[in-house]
Amino acid sequence: MTLRALQIRLGFAALVIAAAMALVAIPNFVSSPSNVRNIVLAPTFWPYTLTGLTALTGALLLFTGWRVDPAILLDEEDAAKPGAWLRLIALAAIMVATMQAMPILGMPLTCMAAFAATAFLFRTRHPIVALICTVAVPLVLYAFFAHVAGVAVPQGDLIRLP
Amino acid sequence: MKTTTLTATLAIGTALTAGAALADYPERAINMIIPYGAGGATDISARTIAEPLGEAVGQPLVMANITGAGGATGSVAVQNANPDGYTMLFARVGSHSVNPAMKATLPYTLDDFRFVTVYEINPFACVVNANSDIQSMDDLMAKAEGEGISFSSSGVGSGPHLGATFVLDAFGLENAASAATHIPQQGGGAAATAVLNNTAEFLCTNSSALAGFVANGQMRALLVTTPDPVEGFDAPTATSLGHPELEQLVGWTGIAGPAGLPDDVAAKWGEWMEQAAGDADFVKQMESRGSIIDVMSPEDANEFIQGQYDTFRALVDDLGMRIEG
Amino acid sequence: MSLLDSLAAGLNTVASVEAFLALFVGICIGVIGGAIPGLSATMAVALTLPFTFSMAPITGILLLLGVYKGGIFGGSIPAILIKTPGTPASSATILDGHPLAERGEAGRALGMALWASCTADLISNLALILFAGWLASFALSFGPPEFFALILFSLTIIAGVSGDSLLRGALSALLGLLLATVGLDLVYGTNRFTLGNPNLMGGLNFIAVLIGLFAIPEIIAMARNPTAHLGRARSLGGTRVSFADYRKSFRSIVRGSFIGVFLGSIPGIGAAPSAFLSYSEARRRSPDRENFGKGEIEGVAASEAGNNGVAGATLIPLLALGVPGDVITAIIIGAFMVHGLQPGPMMFVLNVDIIYGLFIGLIVSSVFLFVVGSVAIRGFRFIAEVPKRILMPTVLVLCVYGVFAVNNNVFDVGVMFAMGWVGYLMMRARIPVAPFLIAFILGPLLEDNFRQSMLMSGSDPAILLRGPITWFFWALTILTIIGIARSVGRKLAV
Repeated sequence: MTLRALQIRLGFAALVIAAAMALVAIPNFVSSPSNVRNIVLAPTFWPYTLTGLTALTGALLLFTGWRVDPAILLDEEDAAKPGAWLRLIALAAIMVATMQAMPILGMPLTCMAAFAATAFLFRTRHPIVALICTVAVPLVLYAFFAHVAGVAVPQGDLIRLP
Repeated sequence: MKTTTLTATLAIGTALTAGAALADYPERAINMIIPYGAGGATDISARTIAEPLGEAVGQPLVMANITGAGGATGSVAVQNANPDGYTMLFARVGSHSVNPAMKATLPYTLDDFRFVTVYEINPFACVVNANSDIQSMDDLMAKAEGEGISFSSSGVGSGPHLGATFVLDAFGLENAASAATHIPQQGGGAAATAVLNNTAEFLCTNSSALAGFVANGQMRALLVTTPDPVEGFDAPTATSLGHPELEQLVGWTGIAGPAGLPDDVAAKWGEWMEQAAGDADFVKQMESRGSIIDVMSPEDANEFIQGQYDTFRALVDDLGMRIEG
Repeated sequence: MSLLDSLAAGLNTVASVEAFLALFVGICIGVIGGAIPGLSATMAVALTLPFTFSMAPITGILLLLGVYKGGIFGGSIPAILIKTPGTPASSATILDGHPLAERGEAGRALGMALWASCTADLISNLALILFAGWLASFALSFGPPEFFALILFSLTIIAGVSGDSLLRGALSALLGLLLATVGLDLVYGTNRFTLGNPNLMGGLNFIAVLIGLFAIPEIIAMARNPTAHLGRARSLGGTRVSFADYRKSFRSIVRGSFIGVFLGSIPGIGAAPSAFLSYSEARRRSPDRENFGKGEIEGVAASEAGNNGVAGATLIPLLALGVPGDVITAIIIGAFMVHGLQPGPMMFVLNVDIIYGLFIGLIVSSVFLFVVGSVAIRGFRFIAEVPKRILMPTVLVLCVYGVFAVNNNVFDVGVMFAMGWVGYLMMRARIPVAPFLIAFILGPLLEDNFRQSMLMSGSDPAILLRGPITWFFWALTILTIIGIARSVGRKLAV
């Protein structure tokens, strides 16, 4: 990707964010009481100010992007490996599943599942170690947080660790 | 692998029996939610009672601070918890009588909780900076009616916010909610600092939060809200100044469960609290911080909190202070 | 009482094996606690608090102070090794510490972090002992207008951590400022962007955002390319910090320490902004400023000096005024109160033995920190040897536990995951993360102090220029902005 394309895309993104804030988010999700004495004290004042500045930054990004030499390429980081999109979606799914499973399975079990899934997703070269860690890491962390640090680690409805 | 399956089976077994009868309550650790941050008045109070209370309960009490939104985040966690008595809340004046009275947007009401006790009462005191030329409530009122006065608080809808307005209103300031300038701060420590650095002129809050500043000669007390004078505060009581209605303005700490808490669980808590609050060390530690230990039965606690809420709610509606939207 | 008498009284109080043992144990707990992301120095102090109830006052307080100081250093270990700040104050350390570790120089970075931390700690303690009274009265002249000016100036740090594009840094900062508006409004108590969710009323949890922005994107990037790290040196190797490194960074360390002392003595700012300010100052003045952010040892030194410089200085408002400067000292003040001690001016009269006992203990703590820290660095070195595809799932699980523990709230884990994707997108779009974070910390302070000033003056903006302190910071802000504008101009001209 060229620097120019990046700047222009970011500029557009900033303008879209600013527009969404000003037209949708602030009017709908920031409630301002009717008895506000002065505009600078209103709860909406600060969000609107920031929105304005975001729009300005977006415009500047577009402007400078336009002027940048189109030949400048960004130094490329590590290229994506085949199947990158699939793995990214899978990781997102793991995160969503973790959140959903937490109240049912409890934190230790959910974390074991999440560990196994991510290690498998990354195709580790050390499957045996990964398997041991899958059980050991969440258990050790549970023991530490629950019994040393005294944290109320969420337990599942099914299984309750001591 | 084998051992995990074994543990799992065992654990499922115990889980099943747990659901069977509440008669054995409690048979595992109880989560105690503290809706305010570590080191604050609620936290210290909760952790002080945790020791004798844990002995009385016979199971570990796991203390968990869930902070945010003036106590609302932690309260909601208990409101939505299973009413099995294994998730209980340290309720406080701010989260359970001032907030519900002031905020229409609060995600809970008093009916969502069942109070099992109130164990600590903490008087309110009003203070000014020691360098201030305000010497008494009369001076304060003269200034409030003349050039106007400002007060700090630990946030909108917090105890100090309502407290200062209540005091000004009781002493006869017209339209107290808008006549005085409220300068909210983020938290109790910042509210006291605001008086020290002259950002705001006075502050009404729990005496325990102010005792240090008064003892150090950094602040001057003008008023305490208990019927009797408070040790260390060289200030008249509200009653002696002719305003006994301000006796309603006290801080308290209690324990509550979700609304559906069974009767026998509530009764057990009543017994445990009787036992825990008898602990001499506990009483000594709490009283050294200016608190009054007074363990209320579940019925008395509910009545006390409802009474305070009604007083505050009437004041809030009267002055148009309710936060909508 | 003369100084010598006070010192003798202090020695008497502190001269017990238990007191020093408590300090040592405290530092050990702190380093370990700080090194576990999410547990953080704050949590470690909070967890230790109940144990101090039954101790002698000086022993208990030294235990807590040990945990505090150890925790602030300990946070730099995961920041350098796994790009996850153990404690918010160590997020600036990531900027150069992690690139160093990626280059196989983790040992050098950790060593420098320790040396800088101990030096700053010592300077900070000395400042506390020598200037407590003076700095405390200075801190009291900071009302909302002064704060507003100071924070406005601090926001210029963003230019220093924006990397190669100031505009992208500004965009990042604005997004951080916008995200920080979620929660209850300070003045009216109304909801802002809470979408009816009670968990959002308190605003987004700072540590969840922090860990989400730094640690999770690494894991996501690994999903994109699981083998990118192969063939790169990652072992701790034999690299150690050299005296030449230390001498080279010495000016930055001292400068960072004083920035820390200054910001620490003013209640309400905390260690993270101090670390960033110190870092950006070091970068601005360094001849190798191009190297900052790519693994410059001086950057690690400056950040660690900035955050440890705060540790001793936050005790200034605590002891001299009875005012806690940050969350950690708010917990420590609880320990004083449990023992019936009331920090404030009178404590220097009534409990002078405790005050001087604390001073002696603090001086010793810098030495203990060095000893414990050296051992800890060796102990944690194995992390650099763990295969990365095992390490990353471990980091994920650790972050889940840690972020939950901060506020006992599963919702925060979700916030962390969501911010992870935001951080990943920012990484792909080459938007620097540090400005986002600084803005997220400073944004609410800026807004609150602005509105408090307006409340004080009845909306008269003149209050923002009410005295010499405000003039000073406004002038500093304007000068810095001119400096930034000129360097941007030069870049455009080339």
